[in-house]
This record gives sequence, C-alpha cells and structure tokens, in this order.
Amino acid sequence: MKLSFAPLAAALFLTAIAPASAGPDQDSVLTYFQQRADSAASPERGKSLFEARHGGGKPQTPSCTSCHGGTPSETGKTRAGKEIAPMALSRTPQRFSDLKKVEKWFRRNCNSVLGRECTAQEKSDFLAFMMSQ
Amino acid sequence: MHGTNAADSGIATRPDRKASAKTVVWDIGVRGFHWSLVVVVATAAATGFLAPEWWLDIHVWAGYAVGILIVFRVVWAFYGSFHARLSSFLFSPNDTLRYLRALLRGKPQHFTGHNPAGALMVFALFVLLSALLVSGLMVLGGQENQGMLSGIVAYDAGHGARVFHELLSILLLFLIGAHILGVVAESLLCKENLAGAMLTGRKNRRSASTHPVPGTASPRRALLAIAVIAAAGGTAISALARMPASGLVEMPGNAVYLAECGDCHHAYHPSLLPASSWRRIMTGLPDHFGEDASLGRQTARELATYLAAYAAERWDTEAANNLRRVAARDPLRITAAPYWTARHKDIAKAVFAGKTIGSKGNCIACHADAATGRFDDQMIAVPEKQISQKATWRQQ
Repeated sequence: MKLSFAPLAAALFLTAIAPASAGPDQDSVLTYFQQRADSAASPERGKSLFEARHGGGKPQTPSCTSCHGGTPSETGKTRAGKEIAPMALSRTPQRFSDLKKVEKWFRRNCNSVLGRECTAQEKSDFLAFMMSQ
Repeated sequence: MHGTNAADSGIATRPDRKASAKTVVWDIGVRGFHWSLVVVVATAAATGFLAPEWWLDIHVWAGYAVGILIVFRVVWAFYGSFHARLSSFLFSPNDTLRYLRALLRGKPQHFTGHNPAGALMVFALFVLLSALLVSGLMVLGGQENQGMLSGIVAYDAGHGARVFHELLSILLLFLIGAHILGVVAESLLCKENLAGAMLTGRKNRRSASTHPVPGTASPRRALLAIAVIAAAGGTAISALARMPASGLVEMPGNAVYLAECGDCHHAYHPSLLPASSWRRIMTGLPDHFGEDASLGRQTARELATYLAAYAAERWDTEAANNLRRVAARDPLRITAAPYWTARHKDIAKAVFAGKTIGSKGNCIACHADAATGRFDDQMIAVPEKQISQKATWRQQ
C-alpha cells in the first residue's frame, strides 16, 4: 500500500474511482456509502459539491471551501484558526478510514454548509473525489 | 581633591593622626552592596515599569537579588567595618533634628560616615525595599501562582498586594530622587564628592565625627552569619516552594474532550468559563458559534459533566478569577469576556488574523501554556510582534 504520491502522479488518478492510494479501511467506507447510493460514485459530481456555493446552511459557511481551502490538496483553516489537514487522500493518507468519524463530519458539515443532511449519493461522490486526489 | 583642611572645618576635632587626610570610610562591603543595589533596583524598575509581561522572570530575579543584598547588608551592619555598622549611624531624634536645622541654614555638620539624614534614608530604603520584596512575592504567588508563596497566597491576596507593590514602587522612585538630591546637596555644602566616595570608599576625615577611629570588619563572622541565615532561609524557602500552587486543581486529562473539541479549535481549558456557560454551550452544540458541532448524546453528556466539574469556579488562577465574569451579551464566548477584551485590546486585529494565529480563539498561538490554564506571563510570545508598545507593559 503506497500512501503518498508526488502531486503530478496524483493527478493521473483524477478520474479513477477508489484509486490505489485508498487502503482497505477507506475502501470499506466508500463501499458503505456506495451501497446506499442510487448510482455509481462520481468524482466529478463530488468535485462540484466541494466547490459550489450552496446557501441554505449557516451564513458563515456557504461552501466546503470556506474552511477546507480552495482545492483538496490545500491545508484549510477552521473559523477558530485551527489548521485542517488537506482533504485529498494523497496528502492526508489516514483520512476516511473511520466510518463513525466520516459520518460525524458529514452530519455536522452538511448541516453547516447545506442546511440539511447529505444523501448517500452525495457522500459517496464526495469521498470518491477526495480519494482520487 | 577639594583642598580642604582641618582649619576650615571650624569645629574642634580630636587630634587624629591625619585629621585632614582621606581615609577609607566605606569598606568594600558597603560599596559593593550600594552599587549592586543600584544595578538590581534599576533592573527591577525598568522591567517593572517598562518591559512587557514576558520579561517577568528578569523582574523576579532582580527582586530575589534585592532580598539577598538586604540580608547581606543587615549582617554587614553588625560585622562590617566601623562606618558600615548600624551603631555608627544610629542617631537620637534630637541629634537628627539638630542636624536638619543646621542643614536648612545651609551649614550642616560634617559626618565622616552617614549623617543623620542619610541614616534616615538608609532606614527608609531598607523598609521600602523589604516591603516591595514581600508584596512582589505575594503578587507572584497569589496572582501568578509562581514563586515561593504560590502555595499559601490566594489570588485575591496577591491581587491586593499588587496595589501596594505598585504604590511602593512609585514611592521608591521618589525616595531614590530624594537620596540623589541629598547626596548632591551635601556634596555641595560640605565640598566633598560623596558619589565618588561611594566608589573609592575614601572620604575626608576632618570633622566632628563622634567616631574618629574606624573599627575593622569581621568578615569571617559575617560569613558565618550569612551561612546560618542562608541555611535557615533556604530550608524555609524550599519547603514553601515544594507546596503545590494553591490556585491550581488537579485535573485528569480528557482525551475525548481534546479530540472532539480540539478538532476545530484550541481545546479551551475548562477554567476559562463558568459552569453556567459550559452548560449552555453543551446544550447548544447544533448551532455552535454558527456551526453544527453536534455530538452523540453519550459523548455530549460526558463532556458536559467534565467541563462543569472543572469550570472557572473551581480554580483560583488569574484567568479563572477574571473570566468567571462573562459578557452579558455573549456569555459563551471567552474572547468576549470583559477581562479578555481589556487584556487584548491593544493587539491589532491584523495580528489575530495573521497566518500563525488565525483567530482570537487560538490561545495557544501566543500562550504556550494555554492548555494548562495557567497563562503565565513568561509564556507569552506573540508571533507577529506588531503589538503596540502600550500593550506590552500594561500588566493589569
């Protein structure tokens, strides 16, 4: 299991779903959401979910990028000033390995940004995108 | 140096061997003490009045040095050479008044050692410096939970002592001014460079000094006395120093708190808010300062209990004592508390927004010991020193 890639190499995996950088834990987390989704996970849809300005959530956090930085490979910052490790799996290899933690943050952050829970489809798209990064 | 001789003293003196010659009046102990005290008091004053909080250690060490010098001087007042001894500058009230009256007429009597006004100054400075030392140790122990008195002085006592410490420090400046004026006045009136005499030790012996023959010092006895005092004092101080700081509570670490709350922000020490605020925070997590920070019911309950148990009411630290009073309009926000805003008001917004700090709530960016709730002055290091000079020395 390779845990890190040079950014260039990582770019090659942009379109791949569940690329080689995802370990067995990440695979099972992604599978969990895919089984509950209507269609196959799409990194492209995940990308636009990440980048869109949603509204409907809390005014301080209109977008995922409000805190996570403009791209998945950037280090983000919470409103309280704490750094957030990059979302891209290639940059933060231990991400998305704990289902409970992933669910907790989807619950909180979807509510903060979208004002509602995210669907299983949205979650699997989002994860597919981040795991491809 | 001043060309004076026995004739112009005008007062009958006992026929000394060299009545007008310069003699060593101030021994090396007196001189060393005097100029060491100058350096140490100047350091204490400069760091106390001007330096930023994080220079506290230097101020404290200057204070300890004052204490050591005072002990030495007291011993030397019994075992030093003649003019160093207390007995040589104890004057009766009548003698003192007579001297002061003569001084006002511009014709003060010349004394080889301390004159009665100088003796008064010595006593005043001794009392004042001792009081500064004690009150300073009380501030350090009570307010900062540091130093040898941290185990026995409560915050309120330390905070009260601070008022005295500050008043006495201003009084000290006046006394130092009066001391220098007195030296200049007597130097002019008696045509003798007294400041120089404190450097060389040599003064004219041409006067009606009642003690014409200098005694000799007993350095060995002095050393013995100092050793006895050091042993006794050292034992007492180390016993005091071993006492745990009275303001601190033994608090078990809480990994759940650090993980759940520390994910998004600095895991604020429970002592930074009163229990009532913590309770409201823990029941309002779904809208936590504009974000959903909801937790599972079990975890939330566990953390609520922990926070309420170790809330500000439990602690006697500077932070807890002051942050117990929350902002009426924003009672859950530590950085809105009146004390917090007062202490940080001279720090520019840009400093907080800067890359290394990020937000006002990121305590640990500047307070290295924020996780302990101590917030020691010495642990402050603002990454961007854009902080105004005013803010740096305002110690509330």
